[in-house]
Amino acid sequence: MRGLTAAFEWQSRAVVARHLRVYLKNWHTSFLPPALEPITLLLAFGLGLGAYMASGLEWHGRRVAYIDFVAPGMLAYATFMTAVFQSLFGAFIRMRYQRTWEGQLTTQIELRHVVWGEVLWAALLTTTYVTIVAVVLSVCQTIGLLHLELALMPIVIPIVFVSACAFAALGLCFTALVPTIDHMNLPIFLVILPLGFVSATYFPLGHPVMAAISTVNPLYHLAEGIRSLLLGDGASYHLAGLAGLLAVMLGVLVPLDMRLLRKRVLGD
Amino acid sequence: MTSMPALLEARGLVKHLGGRRVVDGVDLACHAGQVLGLLGPNGAGKTTTLRMLYGFLTADAGTIRFEDADVSRDVGRFKRQLGVCTQDDTFDGDFTVRQNLEIAASYFRPRPTDVRRRVGELLERFSLATYAGDKPEALSGGFRRRLMIARALVHRPRLLFLDEPTTGLDPQARVAVWDLVNGLRAEGLGIVLTTHYMDEAERLSDALTVLAQGKVVAHGTPKSVLGDMLGEHVVVLEADDVTKRVIAAWLDTRGLGEPFAILGAWHLPLSAEQLADFARAFPALRYEVRPPNLDDLFLKLALAPCAA
Repeated sequence: MRGLTAAFEWQSRAVVARHLRVYLKNWHTSFLPPALEPITLLLAFGLGLGAYMASGLEWHGRRVAYIDFVAPGMLAYATFMTAVFQSLFGAFIRMRYQRTWEGQLTTQIELRHVVWGEVLWAALLTTTYVTIVAVVLSVCQTIGLLHLELALMPIVIPIVFVSACAFAALGLCFTALVPTIDHMNLPIFLVILPLGFVSATYFPLGHPVMAAISTVNPLYHLAEGIRSLLLGDGASYHLAGLAGLLAVMLGVLVPLDMRLLRKRVLGD
Repeated sequence: MTSMPALLEARGLVKHLGGRRVVDGVDLACHAGQVLGLLGPNGAGKTTTLRMLYGFLTADAGTIRFEDADVSRDVGRFKRQLGVCTQDDTFDGDFTVRQNLEIAASYFRPRPTDVRRRVGELLERFSLATYAGDKPEALSGGFRRRLMIARALVHRPRLLFLDEPTTGLDPQARVAVWDLVNGLRAEGLGIVLTTHYMDEAERLSDALTVLAQGKVVAHGTPKSVLGDMLGEHVVVLEADDVTKRVIAAWLDTRGLGEPFAILGAWHLPLSAEQLADFARAFPALRYEVRPPNLDDLFLKLALAPCAA
């Protein structure tokens, strides 16, 4: 329990503040990827692929334009990928190469705060990225490319933050396990990318096997939950499913991260 | 000094790592204004002991007290009083020298007062002001160690842990670190020091705790530790194999153990009485007699005894 409540202690905030300070040093370049990525994806998928689906696609018994289908999926996918990659590569570099954690652990910061600091930072960064993506989507909406309920974005943002915490906890698990940075390919290709594909972010899951697998995929529920909100269907059962999966992930993965990293970082 | 209550006191510390008992019932104490040298050969358990003392590892058994209060009751409060300079440099490479000190200050509560002034003081004192805007990796080894020590002091701790603070430094840089340590002691800081350099331990330490195979094998002032463990004299001799066998037999009959060898020369730690006996037993033998030092102690603990 102490491991979970550490999220609210000042030490975890101090770790986040440190990461934020580093990020803000390079803010002008850090803001570019999340701003450019949705533009690229909207052009490629929305306009490019969408051109082959002039009549849109079937979603929950109604036709929606492909670009409207894919835009909420982009928000979910950005949440997943940003959080996981930050807690995989960013955290691994700080742990293994920069030895930032060791320096922090000689102060009043404990390992549980380092773990929560990484999780919260990944979530904060992800939320920032998704907010930037949302701004780009708003611009696209203004020029008539999209037709979404963007007024509901203030509801989406907290969902993104909590989801990112859980995805970051998953990424940290691999950070604790992989021996070198080269081994990151294993979790990326065996876990992360498959989860990304079976998620209905960029295409609907028509195949029954994929649909069955997706029921335990939090990214799928996130994508469908955001999509329901932004396509005007309101809060769907996917958000309840997402809440359950996120609670399990945070309750299981964060203590597991602490246990694995205690062994790896402290040798204890 | 030792009549004052200890700043830090550990009793019966035990730690198992990888199924091995690496620290086995270690007792030690460090007072304010005192440098406690923690010595021992590789694998003796020094770093593990130190890591337990500064809260990096949890002891399997034993107690650690700070000013007579059990630290396990409030680890955070205890760590507020500690400064830690680890064996390896653990700077924050994303920040400059000055920012490293500032960011380290942000990891303590209550917050250190007037951080900007404190950072400026430390930069001046550790001769780092010229490099304040540089990244730590641009510094030489000696200045990196200075930054590590300065960082450990930014929140004005009362107890400082220095884990091999001069390893890899040239003599000039080592002396500079010694001066800094000496100054900190004079200001009343308690300092726990581990080092592989015996001259450093001898010069800096007010008290020594010597570890071997995870246990304390000697404790006291450097002089008393040497006297207890080695005697007052060390006989250094080079002899042929036949003579060595005779000497080994002589040592064996008196229960004096076996000498340790360095580049073929035997080093025999002896008391004054034993030295007189030795001189009588081997009147024709040529040898040198010198006072023992911590190198002898270190070698005695670290080297396998040489056979005749």
